[in-house]
Amino acid sequence: MSILSLQSVTKEYVGDGQPVRALDGVTLEVNAGEFVALVGRSGCGKSTLLNLAGAMDFPTSGAVLLDGVATSTLDDARLTVLRREKVGFIFQSFQLLHTLTVFENVELPLLLAGKSGARAAAENRLATVELTGLGDRLPHQLSGGQMQRVAIARALIHSPAVLLADEPTGNLDSTTSAVILQLLQRLTREKNTATIMATHSLEAAALADAVVRLRDGKVEEIIRR
Amino acid sequence: MPRFLLFYRLLVRPLLREPLRTALTVLAIALGVAVVLAIELAGGAATGSFRSSMETLAGDNDLEVVAAGGVPESVVGTLDQLPFPLRVVPRMEDYAVVTESKQTLPLIGLDLLAEGAAYTGPQALATLRGNKNDDPQKGLRDLADPLSVYVGASLKRKVGDPLPLLINDQLKTYTVRGVYPDGGGNESAIVMDLAAAQRALNRFARVDRVLIKLPGREQLPQWQARLRAALPAGLEVRPQGTGTTENRRMLQAFRWNLRLLSYISLVVGAFLIYNTISVSVVRRRGEIGIVRALGASRASVLAAFIGEAATFGFIGALLGLPFGRVMASGAVKLMAITVEALYVSSRPGSIALSLSSVVLAFAIGVGVSIISAYAPAREAAQVSPVEAMARGRREYDVRVHKGRDLLIAVLLAVAAEVASYAPPVAGKPLFGYLAAFLLIASSAFAIPAFVDGVSRISAGALQRTLGVEALLASRSLRASLRRTSVLVGALSTAIAMMTSVGIMVGSFRQTVLLWMGDQLPADLYLRPAGDPAADRHPTISPDLAAAIAHLPGVAAIDRLRAYEITYDGLPATLASSDLQILRAYKNSDFFSGRPTEQVLHDLRGANAVVVSEPFTYKHHVRIGDRLQLSLGETQASFRIVDIYYDYSSERGNIIMDRNTMLKYLPDETPSNLAVYVAPGASVDAVRAEIVQAAAGRRILIFSNRNLRGEAIRIFDRTFAITYALEAVAIVVAVMGVAGALLALVIDRRRELGLLRFLGSSKQQIRKLILVEAALLGLLANVAGVLLGFAMSLVLIFVINKQSFGWTIRFHWPVAISLGALTGVYLATVVAGLYPAQVAVRLNPLEVVHDE
Ligand SMILES: Nc1ncnc2c1ncn2[C@@H]1O[C@H](COP(=O)(O)OP(=O)(O)O)[C@@H](O)[C@H]1O
Ligand SMILES: [Mg+2]
Repeated sequence: MSILSLQSVTKEYVGDGQPVRALDGVTLEVNAGEFVALVGRSGCGKSTLLNLAGAMDFPTSGAVLLDGVATSTLDDARLTVLRREKVGFIFQSFQLLHTLTVFENVELPLLLAGKSGARAAAENRLATVELTGLGDRLPHQLSGGQMQRVAIARALIHSPAVLLADEPTGNLDSTTSAVILQLLQRLTREKNTATIMATHSLEAAALADAVVRLRDGKVEEIIRR
Repeated sequence: MPRFLLFYRLLVRPLLREPLRTALTVLAIALGVAVVLAIELAGGAATGSFRSSMETLAGDNDLEVVAAGGVPESVVGTLDQLPFPLRVVPRMEDYAVVTESKQTLPLIGLDLLAEGAAYTGPQALATLRGNKNDDPQKGLRDLADPLSVYVGASLKRKVGDPLPLLINDQLKTYTVRGVYPDGGGNESAIVMDLAAAQRALNRFARVDRVLIKLPGREQLPQWQARLRAALPAGLEVRPQGTGTTENRRMLQAFRWNLRLLSYISLVVGAFLIYNTISVSVVRRRGEIGIVRALGASRASVLAAFIGEAATFGFIGALLGLPFGRVMASGAVKLMAITVEALYVSSRPGSIALSLSSVVLAFAIGVGVSIISAYAPAREAAQVSPVEAMARGRREYDVRVHKGRDLLIAVLLAVAAEVASYAPPVAGKPLFGYLAAFLLIASSAFAIPAFVDGVSRISAGALQRTLGVEALLASRSLRASLRRTSVLVGALSTAIAMMTSVGIMVGSFRQTVLLWMGDQLPADLYLRPAGDPAADRHPTISPDLAAAIAHLPGVAAIDRLRAYEITYDGLPATLASSDLQILRAYKNSDFFSGRPTEQVLHDLRGANAVVVSEPFTYKHHVRIGDRLQLSLGETQASFRIVDIYYDYSSERGNIIMDRNTMLKYLPDETPSNLAVYVAPGASVDAVRAEIVQAAAGRRILIFSNRNLRGEAIRIFDRTFAITYALEAVAIVVAVMGVAGALLALVIDRRRELGLLRFLGSSKQQIRKLILVEAALLGLLANVAGVLLGFAMSLVLIFVINKQSFGWTIRFHWPVAISLGALTGVYLATVVAGLYPAQVAVRLNPLEVVHDE
């Protein structure tokens, strides 16, 4: 069974006026070790899909199954536990905490989960993203590519089954982007994660095992290689 | 107009988007303004417009004759016989207690028959003398009746009503014979005919004051000299109402101190305004950059932020006005208690919300706001358009010059130390206040380094004990160091005030307790019933004193007598004690450190006195100096053989041997009795005997221990107002913490949302904010206690000493301090609850933006 499964997922946002249908009947399966690129125009529902996949939000209808568990059936506390164990997030603008050192940023998910051995794990992950020795720096002392690698190390600290990256190269130049993308691809293999990456770039999509094209909240096509 | 639009868009709109935080800031100002206004108004009512109760029905006269122990009645004849057209009005002046309501009212004895309508308040006195329609003979009969009284209308009695009155130690039922309209300057009083009053008070052949109306107003000093020459040396001739002026002068220091205490809330409020405007500036840096790029001048940016503060101040003052008026009613009651206990009998006037007090409120509200907003507003004006826009929405971290600030702090502290050595200015401890203010400023400058240092050092330990939330909290506090420092500054100032006043009052209390332990050698103490006041000395019937002296279990009694006198333009108490009997209880109570027995020996039978410590500061006298005292009709010189500690009243006391006093004032009636129980006799048994002997008299009997308890009860009531002021400062500070935490939550919403992505639970978010509140509280408590300790030294050894002249021994009321600090600490954490809730409710999906 696949680690992440979306079944006829619809998501509506009720804002001030009319409800916005951000996702409309999306069905998707992602397996461990699979690198999926999510493409489509801005506003087509990529971030929404990632948030649902990461148990940060519930579908309006349909089901999101994370490692076989339907997120809608869990309360907030259980969802938190689920996220702590299964999900790692990577963002476009890195989202590091400026007041914490690199080590502390990477350790944070483990510390929040109350797990021990955080420092050793952080050293290990920093080595994985080739940042050994920069642990004591503060984020503003790093380049953009380095920051994103710290963010990746942080997303991997608790060995999640699912890695969700929302336009991880959006704030980076093309050379750096290529490095980050290759890193993600490699890590997906090494760590056997189900990685979903929302992206605009075609190069990024080219590296993926599968490309899911979204349009107005619907899956337009899925290209598997 | 465009400037206004800028003001609106840049400032007003964002504020309206955060109504709660805006409201908290405004409320803080309102409270600060309200407290100052309340103390101002209450001070005006309780002390400023102080009118001696004895001026009731005194009318419009020019001079008055007074003497310690009373003016001989013969003086009236002497004055009448002078070849001048004088109107001479003798009066008895004392107090009576209306037993039903326990109200103490002035008791005024007037020569009702002689005075007639010529005397002031014609209608009033017409009514006093009976009803117009009445048979005139009846009026005369009423006057002759020693139990006739005439009362003010506000007492709500009718002619013919019985009125039980306690006068000295005698409770008798008097009859209301007339009612006069009081109010309008005439306090309600019990009026009696002169002879009846003398009888009721058991003081014959003397009156308390003789009022004189001159044929013309000019040449008052000449008239004064002329009349003085015609009268015995001991009598003082002075302008009418001098007592009131003297009392007012005496009350000034008290009022000053309260006033300054009330400003502390305002200082706390100023910190909060500073914080609010700083937050505004930091948050809107980007927007400031944009409007600057679009052509707004530095001046208009400065004006906009100053305008924001002024608006806060204005609205705060607007709310503070009614608030202050309400608080004034409470304050005036508390103040009146203090005034009675420490100074003089008085009834507070009505609270007048005058135009000037309204102006004061607005000046303070707007003024303090503008001053505290100036620094952040200037910073806003200096934002360079390019830089601010380039940084975009990234949070701008204000640079704090910790090192430089620390140096300034040290300099300010040194300046405070220097100021604390300066002498008072015109009787006011101006340099003492300056020292206290410099200390507050010094701590404000030291706080950034303190916060940074403490959070740096403690971060590891905190994380280990409180978890990752503590790490995040301490990092966040350090990251916005200036904001944190201002908050810690505000809260710690309030805590410092609480601590320092607490230590001062606690030290004072402890000093009084110790002092009383040494002061009360006798076993039982008696005084007439009724509420005590510093200037009221009701007496005990001499026959009762004699009866008690002869009781079998009584070894000896000391008849103490006190008179209200004036010394060198200030009210004072002149007292005597039977020094044959007074037991030396302890080695020395005296400044010289000589054994008590030696000092008493110097006093016995000699023209010698000991004076209380406050007396020496008021009149700048030392051991060996001589005092010229007017006693009865004579004037005599007394040598000060020593100075004793006295904490019972702020007024100066002079004590002499009873035999010496009787030589000049041959009135055996005591004000108090100290009873020494014979060895072997039981105190309780003697007490019972005294109760029996005193049947029909209203006296209160205190054991040694009772008396101490009573004194401490009065003491605690006296200081209630300081506690109330502290409480307000704390409330203001805690509100500030709540508002600031709210701002912190909103500014850090991205981070808080992110934590949810990274696997934090809602509880952890709540804990994070609460830990932050707790850390703030802890830092503020530590800083506040340190500052408070320093300020308490200034309060005790400089301000108190210079304004009141008491030597207070330092004593830290540890239990109370800890209790109060814990209370404040909990309040700070509670203040974090709502911001924490806001943090928990943030939707992470909305707050984590990608740029
Ligand atoms: N919290 C929200 N409230 C209302 N509408 C939203 C919210 N989040 C996203 N949307 C809307 O849902 C649609 C999909 O958004 P999103 O998933 O962010 O798209 P993408 O990431 O592909 O650009 C858009 O039309 C967006 O406006
Ligand atoms: Mg998106």
